[in-house]
Amino acid sequence: MAVKARRHTVDASLNINSMMDMMTIILVFLLKSYSTSDISVAPSDNLQLPTSSSQKAPELAVNLVVASNQIVVDGVPVLNLDKTPDEENPGQNLTTVPEDEKRGQVITKLYDRLLEKAESSKALGERSGSTEHEFKGRILMQVDRNMPFAVVREVMYTAGQAQFGEFRFVVYKSE
Amino acid sequence: MAVKRRQEDAQELNLIPIMNLVTILIPFLIMAAEFVQLSVIDSTLPAIGPPQPVEEEPEKPPLNLSLAVTDAGITVLGADAVLNPEGSEGEAAPAAEGEERPPTVPCKSGDTCTGVDDYDWPELARILGLIKDEYPDDENVIIVPDSRIRYEIIVKVMDESRDDPNQQGPDGRARTLFPYVVIAGGAL
Repeated sequence: MAVKARRHTVDASLNINSMMDMMTIILVFLLKSYSTSDISVAPSDNLQLPTSSSQKAPELAVNLVVASNQIVVDGVPVLNLDKTPDEENPGQNLTTVPEDEKRGQVITKLYDRLLEKAESSKALGERSGSTEHEFKGRILMQVDRNMPFAVVREVMYTAGQAQFGEFRFVVYKSE
Repeated sequence: MAVKRRQEDAQELNLIPIMNLVTILIPFLIMAAEFVQLSVIDSTLPAIGPPQPVEEEPEKPPLNLSLAVTDAGITVLGADAVLNPEGSEGEAAPAAEGEERPPTVPCKSGDTCTGVDDYDWPELARILGLIKDEYPDDENVIIVPDSRIRYEIIVKVMDESRDDPNQQGPDGRARTLFPYVVIAGGAL
C-alpha cells in the first residue's frame, strides 16, 4: 500500500506585527519615565526614604546616606551604626552611633571624611574659577525614615562642623 | 481590447530593521528610567554670628515660630499673640504657673502618638494658617524635635509648615506658609 507522504512546503514567515505593537507601547512608556536626574538612590531594606510633598528638584552635591545600619559618604561606607535595646519600648531596638566613634557630638570618622570632601570641593571650585562650581557647603542627606532624631542631629552637627551648612533632605515625591 | 490586470499581492513591510532598533533602545531606556521621583527639602543650620539689631516694633512683636515635636504631640511656640491673645480664650488654654503646658496639637489617640498618622496634621495646618494670616511676611520656622522622634515625622512637620492645604495662593496652588525650615538641636 502506498503511503502518500506529501509534504507541503509552506512559506512560514513569522508575523511580528503584534510584537511590534507591544514594543511600541513599551518604548513610549519608557520614554515617558526617562530621566536625567543628578542623583540616584539604591533602594534597600536599610534605606527607606520618607515621602514628601516637596517639588524641588535635587541637584548634585556631596551625598550622605544614613541607612539603618551604616553611614555612607559618596558611596563609601564610613561607619556602622549600633542597635541598642530601647529602654522605653521593650522589645524594640534603637539605632545609635557607637560611643567610641564620637567626640562629644561629633562623629569623628564622618567628620574626617566630610572635611576631606569639603577641602577637595573648595580646591576644585578655586581651580575652575566659576561661581557655578564654587563650594557652597551643600550636602544631600538620604536618611532612613525610621531613624531617630538623635542620630540625625549628630550627623547634622558633624556636617556643620565640617563646613556643610546647607542640607538637602532627599525624599520620595508624592503624587 | 486587452485589459491590464493589476497585481493584487500587497507588498509586506519589512519590519526587521525597526525591530532591531527598538530592541536596542529598550535596554537603554530601562537603564535611564526613573520609577520613583525624588525631590529635596531645603534646610540650614541655625546661623551663628553676632546678634542682629532688632528693630523696635511695639505694636507687633516679631514672630519666632517654633514647633516642638514630642511623643505627646506638637507644641507651637512663639506665636502666643495669635494663639492666645492676652486674657481672652485663645486656641490654647494658658497653663497654670509651674505646670507643664500641654501640646498645642495633641495626638489623636491619647497621650502618646503611636505613628505618623496619629498626629493631628489638619489641626496643625489650621493653626499655622492662622499664624500666617497674622504674619504674612514671615517665612521662617524652627523645628525642635525630641531625640526619639523618627525622621519621617520631622519630614511631615516640614511638609505641613510649607504648604497650606486649606487655602490657595495667587497662582492657584496651595498657599506657601513657612518654607524656610531650620532644625534645632533641641534639649540634649
